[in-house]
Amino acid sequence: MPFFKRNKKENNVKSEVQKEVKKEHLTEQIDNYLSKLEKNESEDPTHILNMLGSLYFEKEDYDNAIKYYEESIEQRKTLGKAFTDLVKLYNIKRKEASQEGDREKVQVYLQKSDDLMKLTKDTIRGNM
Amino acid sequence: MGVIDFIINSILTQASITIALIAFAGLLLQRKPFGEILSGSFKTMLGFLVLSAGSSIIVGSLLYFGDIFSEGFGMEGIVPSIEAINGQAMNDLGLGNQIALTFLAIFLFNIILARFTKWKYIFLTGQALLWMATMTTVFGSAAGFSGLGLILVGGLVGGIFAVAMPAIAQPIVRKVTGTDDIALGHFCTIGYIFAAGVSKITGKNSDSTENIKFPKGLGFLSDTYLSVAIVMVPLYVITAIFAGAEFGSELSGDVNYIVYAFLQAVQFVVGVYVLLAGVRLLLAEIVPAFRGIALKVVPDAKPALDCPVLFPYAPNAVTAGFITTTIGTVIAMFVLPWFGLAMILPGMLTNFFAGGTAGIFMNAVGGKRGVLIGGIAHGFFITLLPALLVPHFNNLGFVNTTATDVDTVTAGLFFEWLIHPIMNLFG
Repeated sequence: MPFFKRNKKENNVKSEVQKEVKKEHLTEQIDNYLSKLEKNESEDPTHILNMLGSLYFEKEDYDNAIKYYEESIEQRKTLGKAFTDLVKLYNIKRKEASQEGDREKVQVYLQKSDDLMKLTKDTIRGNM
Repeated sequence: MGVIDFIINSILTQASITIALIAFAGLLLQRKPFGEILSGSFKTMLGFLVLSAGSSIIVGSLLYFGDIFSEGFGMEGIVPSIEAINGQAMNDLGLGNQIALTFLAIFLFNIILARFTKWKYIFLTGQALLWMATMTTVFGSAAGFSGLGLILVGGLVGGIFAVAMPAIAQPIVRKVTGTDDIALGHFCTIGYIFAAGVSKITGKNSDSTENIKFPKGLGFLSDTYLSVAIVMVPLYVITAIFAGAEFGSELSGDVNYIVYAFLQAVQFVVGVYVLLAGVRLLLAEIVPAFRGIALKVVPDAKPALDCPVLFPYAPNAVTAGFITTTIGTVIAMFVLPWFGLAMILPGMLTNFFAGGTAGIFMNAVGGKRGVLIGGIAHGFFITLLPALLVPHFNNLGFVNTTATDVDTVTAGLFFEWLIHPIMNLFG
């Protein structure tokens, strides 16, 4: 039995290390896109904003993910990952607020989710 | 005693006041500042009265349409509109109070079911809950329930629908969204499952709709009211022409009978506009209050959101589902009267939202071919069920209209076909 225990411990350490490496890699990518955004290098800034949203989401930095996705939608309303990830992000934040017992915040994220539904309706009809 | 009698008999019988009191309680529970509680309650009451005004406009237009349709075609022409059903039930049938309290009861039963069963869905689409409350109240009352019994039975049935519909949709929703954290809260779900079933059988190995390039040209749909008008105006005008100048002029007075038909069609759109504005005002204060409570009591809840939550995953499927569903509803419009059922005119709002969402379901399991065949079957299905309810609506005094969203229709049929006969046995 102790043998298994050690094995599990080793695995945990391994996955922790993997996580760290992944995080570093994500931070690197984020820095890269942030500098592109700053320098206004790309012809398609919404693509960069979406990439930033997606990378921050993966990094579990939800506030920044929301920030960049919202900016992207404000610039161009294209139905896709920005919309689908935002619903998930608002739900995560709403859940956190529920657990913290923060009523105001719960309502803020529910309202954001409602507004996004409305925007989706308008966007899809506008695209037809 | 006199004061209590006055409160019970003269104040609490007024639906607008009951609804305002529900909002008052919700805002109080949220510990809002007193000024906000007062203004919120007042706005809710205002919402109910605006809704009533919209309903009167719709009824006026539908009465006219019913007359010219039976003169022109010798049969009943039914306009499917859950908004019109809600308006007439609240005002003309005097069920406003009961509907408001059932609406509240559905919320409570939803919370209880989500808290104590494995279905952790909290239904967040307030408008759909109002339609469900309308149907369970109308048909619960027709089955012989009244008072607290009516509210509890309606609340329980509605509460079960509020968790069961997201639950049956979840396997496909999970497949589309790739997550189990978000659910679909839209009372057209039985139609989606039916459409997905047909699509799965007929659409094996078919390519996804997202690889087709659709021509743009449905821009007129970008406005809810324009899309209603685009169907209602030709419908009224053509019917008036069939009814003839002589009959038309009897109703139109000094105005030309075709111009009058055109104006009545526009009146219908105005009615829907006003009624929905009322619904928004009515729900604006109540829904956030009770959502907050629900998500506090059930912290691990899966929020069941309105149908647009799925649209960004497959926008082409939405367009394709809308078109194929509309084709199905037009076929059903002509076919159902052969079987002795009423002629149900296509409802563009339902075709768009229910058809579009069904498109996503169908595409997920059966690709392009599935959406084509499944969509037509879906259109037929969502016309057939409301057609079955028409005789019951007529008996209850509704004017030329039937419900739309199929889950609410199913709740109505459940009361008519099962509960009502059981009640008769014991009654």
